[in-house]
Amino acid sequence: MSGTLFVAGMTHRGAPVEVREALALEDDKLREVLTAVAATGVTDEVMIVSTCNRVEVYGVAEAPAEARAAAFRALGAHRGVALAEVEPYLASVNEAGAVRHAFRVAASLDSLVVGEAQILGQVKDAFELARACRTVGPVLNALMSQAFSVAKRVRTETEVGRLAVSVSSVAVELARKIFGRLEGKGVLLLGAGEMAELAARGLMDGGASPLYVANRTPVRARELAEALAGTAVALADVPAVMAQVDVVVACTAAPEPIVRAADARAAVHDRRTRPLFLIDLGVPRNVEAAVNELDGVFCYDVDDLQHVVESNRRERQREAERAEALVEREVDKFLARLRDVEVVPTIVSLRERLEAIRRGELDKALARLPDASPETRQVLEALSQSIVNKVLHPPIEKLRDSSRAGHGRTWIEVVSEVFGLRRPPGGRSR
Amino acid sequence: MPATVNALLYDVALTAYILAMAGALGHLVGRREGSWRLALLATQAGWLCHTVAIVVRGVELRRLPILTLPEIVSVVIWVAVLLELWAERQYRIRALGAFVLPVVVGLGLVLPSGLRALALEPVIRSAWIWVHVALALLGLAALVLNFAAAFMYLLQERQLKARRPSRVYYRLPPLETLDRLSHRTLTLGFPFLTAGLLLGLLWASAAWGSVLTWDPLALFSLVTWVVYAATLGGRTLGRWHGRRAAYFAIAGFATLLLTLGASVLLQGRHGA
Repeated sequence: MSGTLFVAGMTHRGAPVEVREALALEDDKLREVLTAVAATGVTDEVMIVSTCNRVEVYGVAEAPAEARAAAFRALGAHRGVALAEVEPYLASVNEAGAVRHAFRVAASLDSLVVGEAQILGQVKDAFELARACRTVGPVLNALMSQAFSVAKRVRTETEVGRLAVSVSSVAVELARKIFGRLEGKGVLLLGAGEMAELAARGLMDGGASPLYVANRTPVRARELAEALAGTAVALADVPAVMAQVDVVVACTAAPEPIVRAADARAAVHDRRTRPLFLIDLGVPRNVEAAVNELDGVFCYDVDDLQHVVESNRRERQREAERAEALVEREVDKFLARLRDVEVVPTIVSLRERLEAIRRGELDKALARLPDASPETRQVLEALSQSIVNKVLHPPIEKLRDSSRAGHGRTWIEVVSEVFGLRRPPGGRSR
Repeated sequence: MPATVNALLYDVALTAYILAMAGALGHLVGRREGSWRLALLATQAGWLCHTVAIVVRGVELRRLPILTLPEIVSVVIWVAVLLELWAERQYRIRALGAFVLPVVVGLGLVLPSGLRALALEPVIRSAWIWVHVALALLGLAALVLNFAAAFMYLLQERQLKARRPSRVYYRLPPLETLDRLSHRTLTLGFPFLTAGLLLGLLWASAAWGSVLTWDPLALFSLVTWVVYAATLGGRTLGRWHGRRAAYFAIAGFATLLLTLGASVLLQGRHGA
């Protein structure tokens, strides 16, 4: 029997974290598991993707259920988890389903946060690990290289991974929507909330500088300024600093707004045509509502940012639908290619078999005709060739047609049986 | 025979522009990579066709085809499309076509529909007229882009101000990119417009002995110039934010269209 492509495992959707973490192993242990599974002989090819959100075995095996059991027995063995404990959480898909799953995982369509970028790297690492252990063969090789290229297409042709879905990263994204490039844009950080620090860091990572930090307690301002490579300023200087910077991140526990419309108006007056972006993460709000009405000033409070997060999520969802359609087309293409590949070995051995018969019989006949003229030899040669071709034609056509229709396996069996062919070695005829 | 070839080329170019506009708008509201590619390809194909049409027309007339109003509008479109292709690459604004092409198509559609060919009085046939028209024409083309940039700026500014992103928000580039583009096109277009008008005025005073004669095109052009001068002045000297500059740019373009309309409807020295 030739092997079946399968994926078996558990993800954040089906399995609680206690079960997943019991199976999550570091690379050294994974190497042992891969080698152990391959040594049992139940798999032709195998690789394991192990992240905090998923533990999955990709492989080719004659009996996928047995291979799955062997793999998860080996995975559990390291922490003493019995197969019976994880079995209820396992899900598996074969063939087309497995191809689709591999493509969706690599393209980050199966992730907890759809479109997050890490998973592709993790799958690549898993593939490299299995390759180093020599447990991958032609099928996983083809599957993974196609999965990586599908992931790349999804990344460049859709915006599924491009939109921010956390409050602090949305703040950075909005700054980009206003200023374009962040290089050289000044930032003023008011207060010291964690989210504000995160947003400030995001802006600095995008190239924004310089950074000023103001706080009710000057010591805290100095500490934070040091940590973020900024400058501490006194609260009294805030209005003056505001005129110089482009982004203000406010996150103080002050009971009343600390950025007043009058201050903002003065700052805007001094800054001429540059826009001012205020990110108000304080609850109660740190920036007076009237500030947003000023020309060239954009003020977002936590609710506004959350609203953009929601909108980005919906946009991502729409982009994900486009990505799914793209994946679907790629799955079809890949399967068609696999199917063409699956009958090729049978066709080759069929040709070889008949050619061997033809040669043998021809030689016998010529031995009985020692005086045959070159013309006679030529006629016999052509005759035998033409008989073989006529005999070969229907089965080869049948093999090709059936593989395209998706039931190539049956016809590989039939043709091999009828013509007495040896099976292709290693069960890798697919 | 050349006349029909020319008309055919022109129709093909206009059809390509219309196709490109549909693609660009499709990309703006839908989200298909393909429609943007279609728009880009159709724009390029249309522009090449348009180029050939203009050359054929020039050969046929044995002069630069920028003397009658339809000819001028046609060349303004030609330059505007070229600028659009450049700016889209330079500023990486994929949505630009969706805003420039409707203007282009609008101008293109009125072009063959009975705009009278304005024959110029023999007295003003001189070498200077070419320079006058060519300069004003380059200015106009840049201002078509200026209008598109200002319009996009206002759209995006509204989205950001309202703090409720819609579909268009995701397609439009950063505010400052739009502001830069609108400033760049204004500083590109305005000097040409100024030089063109100045030349026209100087030359009118030489030909007719007075600077301000009762010519509607000249007067409307002056109004247009004043609006654009105010925009540029406000930006460089005043403390105008992008929004006010954008409003003025749109007002400037509106007077520009009025100027074109006036030159068709009213009669003056420019028209017979």
